[in-house]
Amino acid sequence: MDNREAKFILNVYRPGGQDASDPRFSEALDQARRDPMLERWFSESIAFDTAMTEKLRAIEVPPDLRENILAGAKVSRPLRSPFIKWAIAAALISMAIFGSLIWHAARPAHLAGWQSQALDVVSSLVRNESSFDAQSHNADQLLAWLRANHAPAAQKLPGNLGKLESIGCKTFSWNGIPVSVICFMRPDGGLVHLVSANVPTSSARRPKTAPGFVRQGEWATVTWREGDTTYMLALEGSRDQLRSYLL
Amino acid sequence: MSEADFQQLVARQYAPLYRFALSLSKSEADAADLTQQTFFLWASKGGQLRDRSKAKSWLFTTLYREFLSRRRREVRFPNVELDDAREEEMSILPNVNALDGVSILQALQEVDEPFRAPLTLFYLEQFSYREIADLLDVPIGTVMSRLSRGKAQLRRRLLSQQEIADQKIVSFQPEKPRESHG
Repeated sequence: MDNREAKFILNVYRPGGQDASDPRFSEALDQARRDPMLERWFSESIAFDTAMTEKLRAIEVPPDLRENILAGAKVSRPLRSPFIKWAIAAALISMAIFGSLIWHAARPAHLAGWQSQALDVVSSLVRNESSFDAQSHNADQLLAWLRANHAPAAQKLPGNLGKLESIGCKTFSWNGIPVSVICFMRPDGGLVHLVSANVPTSSARRPKTAPGFVRQGEWATVTWREGDTTYMLALEGSRDQLRSYLL
Repeated sequence: MSEADFQQLVARQYAPLYRFALSLSKSEADAADLTQQTFFLWASKGGQLRDRSKAKSWLFTTLYREFLSRRRREVRFPNVELDDAREEEMSILPNVNALDGVSILQALQEVDEPFRAPLTLFYLEQFSYREIADLLDVPIGTVMSRLSRGKAQLRRRLLSQQEIADQKIVSFQPEKPRESHG
């Protein structure tokens, strides 16, 4: 490592900070101890950074900002009063009764029943109306849990999905078809969901192996088949966002 | 998240978030608005986040994305060729302690936007460089490179500020004692 490389690395070093014990710095720090010129540059750089941090921390925050945030957040948060809870519950029951009557007629023909059911399951998870069967930030652990419980599980996660942090998984059965859902956190704070189902070979609605995109309401979905397992990837967003996880 | 938890989160994070926003947006009003908007988004969507330990990263990431989204609506970014945007290393370091907070902030705000965000996050000491890479969605090497170049730009601008400040100092000749008459 020459001094230029050492400076490049030490520029990011903060003594006592979160990175202080990072092994990536040890070689550059050794170099600084050996080379007086580099050591002088390093100590001056640290002094400069420390002074900058102190100055930045001293920047005053508007005195009413905190109160404004708390007041504004109250109207932005979902309503949680007991009366509203009952009102929402009553509305949901009404919607379930009357909605189900028109659901089958209005549902796009090209999204199978288990897929619509999966989107409902995901929505209820997001609204905290149901809970995950298993939770982990490591998708491999969730896949292992699904396999251990004889639920459909991908052999390999598609494209960029494997880079995301998982949240949890849930299983359910739709007309005898076993279905599983894994939810992932997207970098923008939204979610993306991988649904796996063992759709019978004889099913007329068995999708093709090539990915097929379908939009349903706010949902963008893509469905494809690998062997005996059919997959659907779904997110509330655009088709392009969805496509980026397949690459 | 309960009301009390939310209030705690605001109490812990609103000041560093505001300072980060101020370095990005260059206006106190915009910075306050960005900070509020970030917490309002948390209030409406943050409940989706199961791991509460990620709340800080979520807030800073959301604020940064909100800033980028507003900027795109206002004006297209100048196409800064990062690889070519080399800054010569300064042999003289500015005396930060001799400058006031306004001058420091002004110099920071003059640093090119791609370098400014990692630089502010670095100085706010809220995140490790790995977390900064995740937050800005760039590789670790890019964070190191942008910090290195950002610091060089910052030092250059601070030296300019220092020169201006020095020029404002007017030296007065000591008054000569009046000669006494008679």
